[in-house]
Order: sequence, then structure tokens, then C-alpha cells
Amino acid sequence: MTAALVVGLLVASGVFLLLRRGLLRVVLGFVLLGHAVNVLLVSAGGMQRRGVPLLGEAEADVAADPLPQAFVLTAVVITFGITVYMLALARAGDPGATTGEPAPGEDADRGGEAADLDQRTEGGPS
Amino acid sequence: MLLAVALLGMLALAVAAPPLARRLGRTTGYPLAAGYLAVAALLASTAPRVWAGETETASWEWLPSLGVSLSLRLDGVAGVFCLIVLGVGALVMAYCPGYLGDDEPHGTVYLLLTLFATSMLGLVLAADVVLLYVFWELTTVCSFFLISTAGAAAARPARQALLVTAAGGLALLAAVVLLTVAAGTTDLATILAEPDRVLDSGLAWPIGGLLVLAAATKSAQLPFHFWLPGAMVAMTPVSAYLHSATMVKAGIYLLLRFSPLFADEAAWSTALIGVGLLTAVTGAFLALRENDLKGILAYSTVSQLGLLVAVIGVGTPEALAAAVLHTFAHALFKATLFMLAGIVDEETGTRDIRELSGMWRAMPVTAATTVLAALSLAGVIPMLGFVSKEYLFMGLLEAEGAPWAGPAALAFGVTASVLTFAYAARIVHGGFGGSEQHADVSEPPAAFLLPGAVAAGLGLVLGPAVSVLSPMIVSAARDVAPAGDPPEVYFWHGFSPELGMSALTIVLGLVLFAFRAPVDRALQRLRLPDAGRLFDRAHDRVIALGHVVGAPERTSSPAAHLSRPLVALVALGGVGAVLVSGLPARADTDRPLDWVVAALLTVVVLAAVLTGSTLAAVGLVGVTGLLVATWFLLAGAPDVALTLMLVEVMTAVVAVLVLREVPGRLVRTPWREAVPAAALALGAGVAAALATLAFTGRRELSAVGEHFLTSTEEQTGGTNVVNTILVDYRGLDTLGEAVVLGTTALGTALVLGRSERRRTPAPGTPAGHRRDAVLEVSSRVLVPGMFALSAFLLWRGHDEPGGGFIAALVAGAAIALSQLTSGPDTLLGRLTAPDRLAGAGLVLTVAVGALPTVQGEAFLTPVELPLLHSLGIGSTFLFDLGVYLLVLGLLAAAVTRLEHPDLTDDDDEPCPPGTSSSAAGPLVTDRVPERAP
Repeated sequence: MTAALVVGLLVASGVFLLLRRGLLRVVLGFVLLGHAVNVLLVSAGGMQRRGVPLLGEAEADVAADPLPQAFVLTAVVITFGITVYMLALARAGDPGATTGEPAPGEDADRGGEAADLDQRTEGGPS
Repeated sequence: MLLAVALLGMLALAVAAPPLARRLGRTTGYPLAAGYLAVAALLASTAPRVWAGETETASWEWLPSLGVSLSLRLDGVAGVFCLIVLGVGALVMAYCPGYLGDDEPHGTVYLLLTLFATSMLGLVLAADVVLLYVFWELTTVCSFFLISTAGAAAARPARQALLVTAAGGLALLAAVVLLTVAAGTTDLATILAEPDRVLDSGLAWPIGGLLVLAAATKSAQLPFHFWLPGAMVAMTPVSAYLHSATMVKAGIYLLLRFSPLFADEAAWSTALIGVGLLTAVTGAFLALRENDLKGILAYSTVSQLGLLVAVIGVGTPEALAAAVLHTFAHALFKATLFMLAGIVDEETGTRDIRELSGMWRAMPVTAATTVLAALSLAGVIPMLGFVSKEYLFMGLLEAEGAPWAGPAALAFGVTASVLTFAYAARIVHGGFGGSEQHADVSEPPAAFLLPGAVAAGLGLVLGPAVSVLSPMIVSAARDVAPAGDPPEVYFWHGFSPELGMSALTIVLGLVLFAFRAPVDRALQRLRLPDAGRLFDRAHDRVIALGHVVGAPERTSSPAAHLSRPLVALVALGGVGAVLVSGLPARADTDRPLDWVVAALLTVVVLAAVLTGSTLAAVGLVGVTGLLVATWFLLAGAPDVALTLMLVEVMTAVVAVLVLREVPGRLVRTPWREAVPAAALALGAGVAAALATLAFTGRRELSAVGEHFLTSTEEQTGGTNVVNTILVDYRGLDTLGEAVVLGTTALGTALVLGRSERRRTPAPGTPAGHRRDAVLEVSSRVLVPGMFALSAFLLWRGHDEPGGGFIAALVAGAAIALSQLTSGPDTLLGRLTAPDRLAGAGLVLTVAVGALPTVQGEAFLTPVELPLLHSLGIGSTFLFDLGVYLLVLGLLAAAVTRLEHPDLTDDDDEPCPPGTSSSAAGPLVTDRVPERAP
């Protein structure tokens, strides 16, 4: 029950961040979605057994399913790698785009879209 | 064999054309004309046998599994078309040198013309329907490129011609496929010899319809006629060759070819006669309205092709013989008229008959030649055109189906012919009649005039001597007529009804010509639908529709791309909620602490989503991560929790470093964007929560989990089950993950320009580098300690919480601290260059994985290493070390570059032209030196 609530909360807030302006929100939304999926994976292993899967430390009959944990461990690190990469991209680009400010001379209504494209075309190897 | 030699000979001529043209320039046409004639002579050597009813064949395997072969076959009807292709081809080649200017791409033009001739020859010789289709399309492609040589103005007509004729090509392809299905073979002769196979298959209607469609597009029949006048932008030799004599006759050839199958079918006859006669009258009518010489000739071609289609539709041996004869006659006189129009254009600079007048004084020979060709076009005795028109009338009169069918068809034919006479007179009168003087215009060189004159002369001579053609016409008609013997061809039939019709045609035509001024005015006032413009409009609409359909993709905004899959996800959740039922019961597994974590999480996440401060958002998302880690701890996943906590710390470090350059406030989202986003977010959240509720907590421990818990220690010697899964059991997954990390490490380093930075260190102390005594001292103590902890965590990972990921995150924190205080140019900084770390990690993981394959074991099987084993180090430890190095590489890439953004932040660095510095702020100026050479 709590797992479902946590997943729903994380997905909703992640999506809400993802759909709004600014690259930083996108990155943070991505992080929250990553959390949501990880919680889902672990809870798929079953929440009734919560012993640590360290042999000799917990009773074998209450130890949690180790396989989802292994998946999640991998997922956490990959999420981290991609987060860092996205932050690097945000860093390499226009600082205003990170927070969602429209570039100068651009129609504010259109957000950063057109400017992003233009910049990309101009920013090629010269 | 002979046929292959002929075809390959043509191909060789095509290949030889560009090099020849480099040496000979525009006069390349003469040797090519000789080549065409040589190939024609070669094929003509078979004439006696072909006229006697034999065929010349050649065949090679092509796609044996499909029963498709490269087979060629020369029979009577193919022979007539070969003669037209090569004969008119030779004349046009001999005409080109006079027409082409010195600065035109001679090589390309001659290459394309000869390639076209080759394709056309292949089309009429093909004895396999698949091969026929291939050559058919090749002629379309050649035509497109030849029209396109006229430059930018030709883009639109060339596209029209291509789209219309290629669409017909697709219809032909479909017909070929259906024919093959119905007849069980692709061999043309077999298909035609046993018409019942196709006619009884139930596919006869679609096959016939598709063939008519293909022919109608290629031969410019209504409503596809518009591409042909458009194609007149091409240079005149192309118009004379492709768009009057040969390519547009491909449709006629196709209909003739398939007459044995369908000639007895009423639907086929009705369709062809209807379309053909309508086209004949409309085309002639449009020709009479036109003022451009080539335009008149183009509509005239449309009209004459209509007559041919109609008479093929009649389908009796007489009618088919008439079709063959008129095809031949039309090729002669129409090619002549085009060549003469080209001469007039070249000599006077205009083709508009309203501007041309009185040319007969300046160009008497040209005028006389034009008169000859026009007489043939108008069907005046004794020209070849007269004879063929007599036969056309005779054929149309034989139209069956109703008692009035023959006379009605004849009436349409005569109407078209009357109009034809009138516009033929208009060509002659408009171009050459009148009394105006042109001092600056003179007769063209003899060589330029000769090809046209030869064709016109043939039209005059072959009229009375038409019996010479009789064996050829008869053998061709015999090949395509399903039953009955075609008649011999004579010049004089006595005072027959046809002669009367011819006389009537001439009289009415003269009347129209006599009243040309009022007729002209009446015609010009008419507003007719312009099929070409309708086509273009439809074409533009389709393109516009494509823009509309593709518009959502042409944005870099993530929201635009993400909203559709998210909507799909919500919809999927809805469908699932309705359809999924009968799930096993769900045990209530919540514990009080779970609720505490969930409540805290709710508060923090809501705050993170709603805050407008960048720093607060990053901090709150970090706290979210820590709470999730707590939840993992409660769930019995200490490794995951530990990793996530460290990840959160490092993410926060990197994010804060990034944020140093960006504004402190996030831009507010306008309500009209925020509300739909919130709705979609809510839907996605509910769907995810429902799915979690539905698919978790409904079963006992999984079998594979059970297996890991019971046999890990025995099989691997490790007690930390999660870690053994990562390095012992599921090494390939981990390797894949390591590759992802290595890629992001190198990508991050690349994006941030780490390597460039090293080569261009700024003089003096970096501006952004803050010295902080407390930090420096504490880092001296902490960094070695953190590395020691990291090594310890790596070492114990196999048995207790730890392992490559966690250890690397600790070491990464140490690197971050060191960079922050001492900068990148320390021993540690150099040792932890991200590219080296990532490279070493990748090499190590792959090498460890590949090691067992030497002994024939599977990739990544854990093995014992000779020396290290005594130290308790197995291959899995080395593998974990590789992962460690990769993660560390990623971290080093992020922190090293991000922490020293100001190293070369010189404001006096000149901007290369073309790069804007106004909008950029420090980040863009930062990048400028890297882009400079």
C-alpha cells in the first residue's frame, strides 16, 4: 500500500517536473522517475520479507528477494550516470535554458524551443 | 544472342557518350547516330524471319527461385517499336549537334538520351513481365532526368511527369504481380498464349484496369494528360524523341501487347475507346487554343495517342494494324515537327506563333519541310499520315457492342481529325505564313535541317509506297490480334467511305481555318479546368499535411515529445483498470515506519515540485533521494540504500556545481501550461500507483530469489547475495551497465571539454578558485581516509554491503573534495583523469570477462587466478574493480570539469566571427577558445 502510494507520488511529481520549462526541472523529474521505478522494482520482490539478503545475518526465511535489489542497484548507478550527463549538457548550454528563461529576442510564449534548435544549428563545428 | 548484343551495344554507346563528349563536344551526336543505325541494322537482319512469323529470343537466369528470367524476344510488334526507337533515335542524335549550345552538359545529355534508348529497346524486347516493368520504370527515370536538365524552371514539370508516370509504373507493377499470380509464370509469351488462365482467375478485371491505368499515365491520356505539355520545358530533342515518338508510345505498346488477352472483353474495349476518343478530341481542342509551337505539338501528341488507344480498344485485326501503322506514321511526322519547332526557336528566339510570321521568305526550305510534316499530321493525300488515318477511320468504324458504336466512334475520330487539320494549318500559317520581312533570320545549316527533312521526306515517299511497310505491319498486327488475319496495307482503296471522311475532314478543317480569327477569340474566352494546377494543388496539400503531421516532432521541448507517450501510458492504465481482474489476494505488509517515510516523502516531494528556487529544488530532490534510501533500508535492501545515499550526495555536488552559473530562480510555468501538465502528471501518478497495487505483494518469494538465497554461498563463496548476483551470476548485465557508465563518463568529459582545458591553462591563479584554509586542511586529512574507506568497501563487497559502486562513490567524493581545494593539477588530479579511469575500467571488465573464454568456458564465468588466488582475489574481484574504475571515471569527469569553470574565463578572448557572445554569458564565452582552431 505505501509502496503504491510512494510510486504514484514520485511518478506524478516526476512527470509534472518533466513537462515544465527549464532543463533543471527535466533533470530533477528524471531523478524522481528513477526513484519511482526503483521502489516499484523492490516492492515487486515482495514487502512481507524484509530481512537483509546477507547470509548469516538474517534468517533465511525472512530474507528479501535479492534479485530485484541487484536490478535496482544497477538502475541506481545508471540513473546517476545519465543524471550527471544531463547536468553536463545543461552546463554546456545556455544557463537561461537550465531554468527555462526564453533566450533574448525570442517570443516568450514559445519557451525555449525554437531558440534551442537555432542554437544547435549555429553551434556546430565552425 | 543477337538481342543481347543489340542491348549491350546500346549500353556501351551510353557509357561511351560522356568520354566522347569531352573530346567531341556537341558533335558527339553523329557517332552516336551511326551507332544507333548499326544496332538497327543488326536487328533488321532478322526481319525476313520475323516477318515470316518466327521470333528471335535470348534468355538468362535472373531470379530462378521466383522463375523470373532475363529473357528477350523480338517479334513483329517489338520490331516496329525497335525501328521507331532506333530510327527516330538516330535522327534525333544527328539533330542534337545543331541544337545544343556549346556550354551545355553534352556528356550528360547524350548519356541520358542513350540510356533512355537502351531502356526503351529493353522495354519492347522484354519477354518477361518483371523485366518489362523494370525497363518501364527506367524510361520514367530517364525522362525525369532529361526534363530536369532544363534547370530550375523544369523542377515542377519534371516532378509532375515523374509522379504521374511513376504512379502508372506502380500500377504496372501491381498488374505484373497479379498476372504472375493468375498465370503462374512471368513469361510474357506463355501468359499471352493461354489467355484463359488469366481470364478465368477472377483477377482479370483488376489486371486489365491496372494495365489501362499504367498505359494512360505513360501515354498521357485523360485525366493524366497534363504532364506531357508540362514536359515541354525540356530541350527540343528530348521532346522530339521521348515525348512524342517513343516513351509516350510505351503505353500504346503495352496495350497492343496485352490485346490478345483482353481484346474480346467488352469492358476493355469500352474503356479504351471511351478514354481514347475523349482524349483525342480534348487534346486536339486544347492544341487549337495553344500559341506555343511546342505546346501545340504536345497537345497534338496527346490527341493522336488518344486515337491510337481508341483504335486498339476496337481490337479487330484491321484496327490493330491501323494502330501499328499510325504509331509509325506519327513517330515520323511528330518528331519532324518538333525538330523544326526547335530550329525555328533557335533561329528566331521565339516559339509563339503570334510573334512568328512570314518566315517562309527567310527560311524557305524549313517552311517546305514543315508543310510536308504538317500535311502528314493533317492526313492529306498522298502523305503517310493520310494512309494511316484512312486505316484509323476504317478501324474505328468496326467498333462493336452496339449498332451505333462504330459510327459514333468514327464521328469522334473525324471530329478530332478536323481539329487536327485546323491546328496543323495554324502551325504552318502562324509560323511561316504572312508577309512580314525578317532580315535577321536565315535558313539553318543544312546539317541541322537534314534529320527533320529526312523524316518529312519519308512521310511523303512512304505514303504512295506504303506497301513496302506491309509485311512489317501485318506481322506486328498478327502478333497482337487474338484472331483473324490482318489485311495487307495499300495506298489506294478506291472511293471508300473512309476517303469520304478524309475529304470531309479537310473541308471542315479548311472552314475552321478560314474562320480562324473568331474561332480563336471564342476558344481563348473559354475557361477550362487546369488539371496540372489541380495536381499541383493536391501535391502541395499533401506536403502541407506532412508538415502538420510532423510539426509536433520539430521541437526541442521535452514536454512536446513526452506528453504523447505519457497520454498513452495513462490510457493504458485506464484500460488495465477496466480489464484486469481476478488477481490473487494481497497481503497487508505495511509497517508503521513505512507510513512515516511516506508522509515525509509527500511533504518533501511537493515542496520540491513547487519551489521556485533552483537551490531549494536540488536540495529537496536530494532529500527525496535520502528518504527513498530510508525506504530501501526498511525494505531490507542495505546495499541499495547505501548506494542511493552516496549517489544523492554526488548528484547534489554535481548539481550545485552546475547551478553556480545559472539564475537562482526557476522560470514560472504559465497556468495554461501548468494545468495540463499537472493533469497529465496526476493521471500518470494514479496509473502508476494502481499498477503497483495490482502487480506487487501478491505472491511468495520468487523461485529465482529462493535459488540465490540458498545456493549463493556454496557456489560463489560470497555471502552478500546482491553483490554476488551483480558480479558472479549476472556479470553480463553489469558489464552492460559498465559500458553505459564508461560512455557517459567519456561523454561528460567531452561535453565539458576537459581535454581541451588541459592544453590551455590560464595564467595565474584561477579566478573562481577559492582558497579556504579549513577546507584545505580537512581535505588533507579526509581525502586519504576516504580512499582507504573506499578500498575497504571494495574489498568486502563480496560478503557485506559494499562493492564497486559504493566504493567508487566514496572515492568520487574524495576526488571532489580534493579538486575543490587543490585544483586539477595535483598528482591525484592527474591520476584520476576521467578518460584514463574509464578506459582502464572498461579494458579491465572486458578482459576479466574474456579470460575464461581462453579455457573454453563461457564469457564472464568466474575463474580462479594463479597467483592472486592465494591472496583471496578472484576474477570477480577484478571485475568489480573495473566497475569501480568506470564509476570513478564518471565522477571525475563531472567534478573535475565542473569545479573549474573559470580556468580560462578570459574576457579579452576575441570572439571568432559568427559566434554570438551577447546571449551567452560566461558559459558560451567559456567555449569559444575550444572552437577556435
